[in-house]
Amino acid sequence: MRRARSLADLALAALCLWAAWYHTPPGALLRTAFARLFGARSATPALLSYYGAGARPFQLAEPLPPRAALSPGAALGLGAQSALERTSPADRAQVLARAGLRSLSADALGDWLLREVRLQGSRESAVLSLFCGEEAARFARERAGGGRASLEELARQLPPRYADRVALAAAALTLGTAYALAWPLPDSAQVTSLFGVRAHPLLGGRRFHSGIDLGVSVGTPVRAAAEGIVRRASDDRVSGRLVLLDHGSGVSTVYCHNDALLVAPGDAVAKGQVIALSGNSGLSTGPHLHYQLDLPQGPADPLLFRAARPPQLAAGGTEP
Amino acid sequence: MPMPGTAPPAGALDAAARLADRLRWFFLPLALCALVAVGVHTAADVVGELILGMVDAADAAFDGLAARWTLTAPLVDLVGPSQRVFFARGVALLWELVADWLLALPMLGYDERADEVKRFRELAAKAWGRPTTLRVVHPLATGAVALAGSCAVGRLLEGTLHFSLRGAMGSAADALARGCALAAVLGLVGFIAWRAVVHALVRADARSDRIPLRRGRAFTVGLPGALLLLPLALAALRAAPLLSFLR
Repeated sequence: MRRARSLADLALAALCLWAAWYHTPPGALLRTAFARLFGARSATPALLSYYGAGARPFQLAEPLPPRAALSPGAALGLGAQSALERTSPADRAQVLARAGLRSLSADALGDWLLREVRLQGSRESAVLSLFCGEEAARFARERAGGGRASLEELARQLPPRYADRVALAAAALTLGTAYALAWPLPDSAQVTSLFGVRAHPLLGGRRFHSGIDLGVSVGTPVRAAAEGIVRRASDDRVSGRLVLLDHGSGVSTVYCHNDALLVAPGDAVAKGQVIALSGNSGLSTGPHLHYQLDLPQGPADPLLFRAARPPQLAAGGTEP
Repeated sequence: MPMPGTAPPAGALDAAARLADRLRWFFLPLALCALVAVGVHTAADVVGELILGMVDAADAAFDGLAARWTLTAPLVDLVGPSQRVFFARGVALLWELVADWLLALPMLGYDERADEVKRFRELAAKAWGRPTTLRVVHPLATGAVALAGSCAVGRLLEGTLHFSLRGAMGSAADALARGCALAAVLGLVGFIAWRAVVHALVRADARSDRIPLRRGRAFTVGLPGALLLLPLALAALRAAPLLSFLR
């Protein structure tokens, strides 16, 4: 009897160690070390990626050519197309064949994803279905308890072999969310300072500008670029009165130097809702809105995800 | 007389059982440590929202302070909104490692006794009669994360079996994978997880006995660790979807 129990305990111990290999930081370090030792390719993501469905930084696609504003479906299709372009041709062909698609066109992918969103009840499940297959998406959805589960919750239900595909699905969702962002100000607002390294007009030296500046008069309504949750509504002497919106899928937008904030942390906002009135607060040389887009790898140029480019100030014009 | 072909498997099984019995001292502590570590990771994975909120609040407070002086103003961008997710994940990882240090690593010192049930009853009665922060929080937190770990192991087994057998067995793979996962969860709770709770009780009791008999010390010793473990234990209970194995 005791020996039989020892066998059962041994089997259970093996299960525990197997799970620890995949579901603990020491396991991740060991897997990476073993892969390096034996010269194998490691599918282990960075340690910190474990907290967020394996969402990893990824290379941004080429800037979008100016075109009509994208619908949510088209934006998601474009996100999926960008993510699929990072896979090997064989993997790409497999994904397309499984979805019954002939080409890697953003429109076809968008239509397919919209249909899946209607069938499955969420973007997350639809994108998972595209990258991991319908069976995996169904399995994850049923175990996660419904159609409104986040990608993190869905990913937790799947075995480790899907880690790479889940990371691609996360990238597609991130890009799809970013491509669907609206502009926070009227199209007529001029860009007075671009994204990237620039000479700082007040602090001096060359510094990285993590967003773009849009020159507008004090009191102009600032609208939410997409629906989301207010993570921060604060005031300091550098960024002034700022709002940070979390749109999910690793996408957040920041609106700085406002005159008045109309939302509070924890508020849910709709796309286009007025969240602040622009101003000249904080470290600023004139009335403007600092608009910043954050992706998992850090700040990104909002103009890369902008359908119609706003007018720009002549070279040399800057705002902090 | 036994058939020549059937004797060797029974013998092999017996030999394996004998070997497993001799190696219990080695693999049981490892299993306890691994199960608790998996549970801690599962819990740390679901406290992300809470940590992100804490990081946002801390970032806002830091920016408010740093922006007051010209010299420190550039620091506002150093810990800006872009790094919030990175910091939140870093905090989650740190939290997990500290919880591993407090709960999982001590499991490597597990020494099995023949009268485990009796030992558990005695220690639980002592904890009830002479409660200390250590005697209450550590076993409860260990139980919660071990339960979450059992569910995580069960889900890993279910997913792996489901997708490995689906090609050969069709829809029957679903029922088989589900049954195996449920059996694994029940087995882990019944054979491994409760031993982790017993060992947590043993350690907490030994440490509590060393606390000097001064007023309030029974509750202050181990309080920082308890404050760290309690949210994680609650998250672990949220991350233990026992019913999902029956759906």
